Amino acid sequence: MTESMHEMTIRRLLAIVRELAVPIVSVVIAMVIGSIIMLISGFDPVAAFSALLKGSFGGGRQIGETMLRATPLMFTGLAVAYGFRAGLFNIGAEGQLFMGGLSAAWLGIVLAGLPRPLNIVLMILAGAAIGAAWAFIPALLKARVGAHEVITTMMFTYIGRYIVSWLVTGPLKAPGQIPQTDVLPTESTLPKLHEVTAFLPISRAHLGFAIAVVLAMFVWWVLKYTSLGYESRAVGYNPWASETGGISVSATTVKALCISGALAGLAGVTEVMGVHLRLFDQFSPGFGFTGIAVALLAKNNPIGVIAAAILFGALSAGGGTMQLEAEVPQKVIFVIQALIIFLVAAEQIARWIIGRASREGVEHAG
Amino acid sequence: MDTKLRKVLALLLVFALVTVFAIGCAAEEEEPVDDGVEAPVSDVKAAMVTDVGGLGDKTFNDGTYEGLKRAERELGVEIRAIESSEIADYEPNIDQLANAGFDVIFTVGFLMTDTTIKKAPDYPDVAFGGIDQFFEEPPDNAVGLLFNEHEGAYLAGVVAGLGTLDQDLDDRINDDNVIAFIGGMDIPPVEKFEAGFIAGARSVNPDVEVVALYAGTFEDQAKGKELALSAIDQGADIVFAAAGLTGLGSITACQERGALFIGVDVDQYFSVPGSGDVMLTSAMKSLEVAVFETIKSVVDGTFVGGQNRFFGLADDGVGLAPFHEFEDAVSQEIRDAVEEARQNVLDGTVTVPPTRAEL
Repeated sequence: MTESMHEMTIRRLLAIVRELAVPIVSVVIAMVIGSIIMLISGFDPVAAFSALLKGSFGGGRQIGETMLRATPLMFTGLAVAYGFRAGLFNIGAEGQLFMGGLSAAWLGIVLAGLPRPLNIVLMILAGAAIGAAWAFIPALLKARVGAHEVITTMMFTYIGRYIVSWLVTGPLKAPGQIPQTDVLPTESTLPKLHEVTAFLPISRAHLGFAIAVVLAMFVWWVLKYTSLGYESRAVGYNPWASETGGISVSATTVKALCISGALAGLAGVTEVMGVHLRLFDQFSPGFGFTGIAVALLAKNNPIGVIAAAILFGALSAGGGTMQLEAEVPQKVIFVIQALIIFLVAAEQIARWIIGRASREGVEHAG
Repeated sequence: MDTKLRKVLALLLVFALVTVFAIGCAAEEEEPVDDGVEAPVSDVKAAMVTDVGGLGDKTFNDGTYEGLKRAERELGVEIRAIESSEIADYEPNIDQLANAGFDVIFTVGFLMTDTTIKKAPDYPDVAFGGIDQFFEEPPDNAVGLLFNEHEGAYLAGVVAGLGTLDQDLDDRINDDNVIAFIGGMDIPPVEKFEAGFIAGARSVNPDVEVVALYAGTFEDQAKGKELALSAIDQGADIVFAAAGLTGLGSITACQERGALFIGVDVDQYFSVPGSGDVMLTSAMKSLEVAVFETIKSVVDGTFVGGQNRFFGLADDGVGLAPFHEFEDAVSQEIRDAVEEARQNVLDGTVTVPPTRAEL
């Protein structure tokens, strides 16, 4: 009895180790290859990586920078991961993010003068709602006529980006030369983490990080313990079996893509409310797309998304110190990031496509 | 066996990739030029924070770096460039350089305007130069470095305005009195190019029609091509694009449809290989001059912050590139008109309008 329990624990641990193996090995290989590149190009990889570490975890301010950069990636990583779990590739997280940012930039001005907690709650809910709405039409097209979400969510990204581009250069533009919206009043912004928790050192990290972490745990719980999460996963594994088992595939698809969109929308909300305090054309350097890499590295596990986002955040935060102290160009960071994505994705994408292809094969055969 | 073979193949592929990357990285390194002249030494340290385009953008980041390199050569200052890969990098990159003891820091591009205003007061001993940044209330230790782009574009307009009438210039010049302007985003620095170009063209050819189109982006080559094609369809035979990477697509359109092109920011004859057959000239702005002059003022102790400085034709901040492959084809009439226009701008006979409204 005790022995079998013991065995079960070991088996479970082994399973976790096996799950972690691919991402960790990928990161290590990426760093080794990155080091070789640096050596060949005449840079010192030891100096580079210690500067990178110093710039990302070397002190309170640096850790705060890492958290700051991890925040939007956590939201978009969660968004993409949730979609993947339901068998959907939400490649349009960037568009949902832009719409979330737009709603925050607009609502934050409209709500000026109201109490800060109320504004924060309202702006977050509105951003999630518009993110979901931006995913709703592709979701409906997918559920009703089978239009592929990779195409439709991507097209909606263009629409969203151009709407923002038009609004910040026209109707919502603040006075002055630069195409951007007005600065949000303080009551419509997210407080810095050191303002809400007395013990944290001063940094730019804001409340969005805490929200993202809590949300990641919540999404994990939803996927694992609720019927909504169960249905999403079931449809992701095998839609036909799910349909036979009494789950409405189309309803689940719509729900899952909207949840994904809501999560991505929050990335835009927190960037506007916590970092830029206004909206402009280039406020996201492609967080929606980096979110795909984060989700892949996390193997679509919401808890894993926290870790993967922090890794990508650290790479981004440490880049400046690496350039200054080790004199290694920023492009090396891109190479390492690209290698991580390449090594993880090579396995994951292939697996996803195979799963998908075999499913479609079944459909045609049936 | 099969998996083993696959693993070996995968490894080989990775090494091939590594080699390609390494060569790519190594190629960026530049050999120091030893011209035998005793190098001057200064204890001033100058640095720049790039915008998200990074070094290698062939426009303002590279142009700023050229100014730093010239200061290193001629003044002996220590230089450094830090690249930003996202907007969140701007602040920490400025902090890092200021804390590392740099005396003058250039922030590149109008997107960094707010950050420069916010950060300059934190480091009162550091001189800040904001490239393409207009400060409404300039901090005491910051100077906005701007360009009279419209003055350079005015000269380009003179060339285009006369060129479109001159069928001896090139057999691609048609009977229509139409030229074109392709803009990236409709923002003030780009509007300056448009207004100057139109004013220059009309000054020598009052009836000329200028088709002006905006892409809404600096990064979409397909859009740049599409807009140039539509302008050429409307009879334009000389296309001037102030549109960053978008303009590269316009060059392709000119090559395919048989029109001439005028480049922007730098001498695009050199920065866009293979464009010589259509590249009539370029309306340049010299960030190198602005950056070098600012560093020099810090070295000399004459730096004055709290202002916006405009670099124009008078101080070689803007100008017209050589005609290169069209050197023999360009008539004396055009050359004389350009020279006259330059003189008129310099002595104030002509004030070039910086906006459409003032045309």
